[in-house]
Amino acid sequence: MSVPVKTQNLPMLKKLRQVAKEKEQYVPGHRTCAGCGPALQYKLVAKAAGPNTIFIGPTGCMYVANASYLCTPYQVPWIHSQITNGGAVASGIEAAYQARIRKGKWEGELPNVIVMAGDGGATDIGLQAMSAMMYRGHDVLFICYDNESYANTGIQTSPTTPYGGNTTFTPPGKKIPEGKTLFPKDPPQLVIGGHPAVKYVATASIAYPIDLMNKVRKALNVRGPTFLHIHAPCPKGWKFDEAKTVEMARLAIETGMWNLFEWVDGEYRYQYRPKELKPVGEYLKHQKRFAHLTEAHIAKMQAFVDAKQKAPGAPGKVPAPLPRAEV
Amino acid sequence: MAKEMTLSGCAASAQAVKLAKVDVICSYPIRPYTAAMMELAKMVADGEIDAEFIHGEGEHAQLSVVYGASAAGARTFTGSSGVGVTYAMEVYSPISGARLPVQMMIADRALDPPGDFGSEHTDAMSCRDQGWMMGWAETPQEAFDNHLINYRIGEDPRVMLPQFVCQDGYFVSHIPGKVIVPDQAQVDEFLPPFNPGKHILDPKLPVSHGPQIRPDQGTIMDLQRAEAFLDLPQVIEEAVSDYNRIFGRNYSPFVEEFMTDGAEIVFFIQGGHAATARHAVRHLRERGVKAGLVKLRFVRPFPSVQVAQALSKFKAVGVIETSTSYGGSMRGGNLLPEVRAALYDVQSRPLTTSFMAGLGGDVVSLKDFYWIAEVLTRAVKAGRVAKTVYWAGLEEATA
Amino acid sequence: MFNVPRERAVPFGCVTPAPVGEQPMMITGNWREWRPVIDHEICNLCMNCVVFCPDACWQLNAEEDEVVWNAKYCKGCRVCITECSTEALTKAYELDFDDGVVRLEKPF
Repeated sequence: MSVPVKTQNLPMLKKLRQVAKEKEQYVPGHRTCAGCGPALQYKLVAKAAGPNTIFIGPTGCMYVANASYLCTPYQVPWIHSQITNGGAVASGIEAAYQARIRKGKWEGELPNVIVMAGDGGATDIGLQAMSAMMYRGHDVLFICYDNESYANTGIQTSPTTPYGGNTTFTPPGKKIPEGKTLFPKDPPQLVIGGHPAVKYVATASIAYPIDLMNKVRKALNVRGPTFLHIHAPCPKGWKFDEAKTVEMARLAIETGMWNLFEWVDGEYRYQYRPKELKPVGEYLKHQKRFAHLTEAHIAKMQAFVDAKQKAPGAPGKVPAPLPRAEV
Repeated sequence: MAKEMTLSGCAASAQAVKLAKVDVICSYPIRPYTAAMMELAKMVADGEIDAEFIHGEGEHAQLSVVYGASAAGARTFTGSSGVGVTYAMEVYSPISGARLPVQMMIADRALDPPGDFGSEHTDAMSCRDQGWMMGWAETPQEAFDNHLINYRIGEDPRVMLPQFVCQDGYFVSHIPGKVIVPDQAQVDEFLPPFNPGKHILDPKLPVSHGPQIRPDQGTIMDLQRAEAFLDLPQVIEEAVSDYNRIFGRNYSPFVEEFMTDGAEIVFFIQGGHAATARHAVRHLRERGVKAGLVKLRFVRPFPSVQVAQALSKFKAVGVIETSTSYGGSMRGGNLLPEVRAALYDVQSRPLTTSFMAGLGGDVVSLKDFYWIAEVLTRAVKAGRVAKTVYWAGLEEATA
Repeated sequence: MFNVPRERAVPFGCVTPAPVGEQPMMITGNWREWRPVIDHEICNLCMNCVVFCPDACWQLNAEEDEVVWNAKYCKGCRVCITECSTEALTKAYELDFDDGVVRLEKPF
């Protein structure tokens, strides 16, 4: 009777050449948009995780656009889950492997169990399942790929859509000039501090692929639940030229709209923190989803970003006015 | 060695799950099924059962957890009652369509509004179209037996379907009865280890579980499950026959007849109130009323052939409805439409009507059964039924 | 009992085998308007194109010491051209090529 322990220690990568040499586990042949940010992060995550991996795919772009019809690009085992229950299904798979290895019904290293949820499936309708999985301490990596909308259903607002984002549920109009009046949730904050079993949380971006892959590996090497929040720009939803997907991710970091950090056992560590941030306008101007914003709206966005820079990822006083207040 | 214990339905279910050597259990508390999970928790804590005991965050999560666990090759168990059953609704079809033989215990309970802890079959019955097997137990012994029988049937490679194993809340789940609990060796003879086949998640043989299909494949997808239900009765018969042989029981696979020789009027019922019905039938017979009882053991698959064969012998059938189907064709519950459909092609059909009884945890008393017998007797005399649904105890016994 | 046409068949439980190397049931090479063109002389093998292609259509051929383009699946998103660290990658109109792929009218 063996006890399932993760003995794997996936090594950290240093050079892009090493990345190029790792085997693809997310192969060509999927119906994602040309230049899809989430598809790129999926490719990198799958490469980092390797063949002893099981992916859970809650409904979303990384299900629907990848799994039509009757075919997928996942070279490793993959299962569809409802958008509501990625965390719960992953818990069941991990528990099954714990039991089967312990009882001698399966031999091998405990597989990497990874939930690939969109921002909706992580912070909105899937939040309950994600939190419960974190609380129960399953050995699962929960990834939230953030394209800042419910993209698969045609770009509707989600809790991570930025203030002022034009989506089909937050269109700008005479009565509501900024479109989206709500400021977004902070997904890592939802996990950090509230779940005693979680020891590693990190944000990542497709603009820094080695950093992203190393964070995936660090999370997988940790025993217990871990959370990764990956910025994955969406050319269709954000309305920019698809050739610029990676540039958009880079600009987000250069303007402070996205912050790269790790939270390890209570301590924050930052990566690629620019000495001086470019104004948010430099980021917003490329994306037609922000084209309707006035100077006043952009100033609000800037204040929100500035307030977060003192300690990105940590709770702080953030000027998010009540949505029904006067402008 | 088998041993005789006095167990409530919940405790009996826990014993069965232990002997079935499940791998993953997912709990969430809701009355009245919770007691089964409490028993299992203690067994896990004491090392009597080697299973992962997952504290689900809700009933929807419970079903999601066992969906994942079953897809990864585990034998699973979960359960719920009342609104918990309906909260998990989203996940029933994914489990059944993916052909995962998950088992869910339902100690039924009336649905809100308002809060009512009493028994009613509506919670489970409202999920009867989701592609799961479903049937009720009358006693803690039958509850125990049904769990093992359902694992065997559900996991059969010809079937691979999930199962709702139901028992009346409180009347069966909490009132203790005599249960003969077999030993592990007997159970192992009946129930082989779960062999999930090639469609599980295993890095050694990667599969993609549940990619999208085209609309023109939708019918085919549903047909697959419909075909499994066509093959099902034979597997049920084999399993029950085997069970009777190994454990010395005497179950009829689909319908059980009690004192039906020469009966003219019968009660048709599923679940715990059948126990009262038996006493009522005996008393009625003593008074010269030619009464009988036909008890339904599986409502999915609905055994149309066996129901027609059993019921066509009588003059009048009173279907006891412990669930509601508002606006349904009979303006009552769910069983009478199924019974009438089963009898439609029979040359000489009995009169049939239904009796709403035991809803919300209401007791169905001997007096209620005598009242029902009175209505059926008058119907036989009149040669017709006055209406398709009566609310027992709340109206005159007119035919 | 039933006649299910082969093209409408669904595997048991809707479980399909995982792809190996590529997914030929979803060929996307006929999506593109633009094709990336590489000048191997200029290319410094920085690996940006290999890393940043969402469809893994640039791969390193270690023996030949050059990067290889996958015509079957490239969607023409031009991320590789944007991220190329030299002038090695440029874009060209797909139908200028003899083997330029005509986009299908309906994808399935």
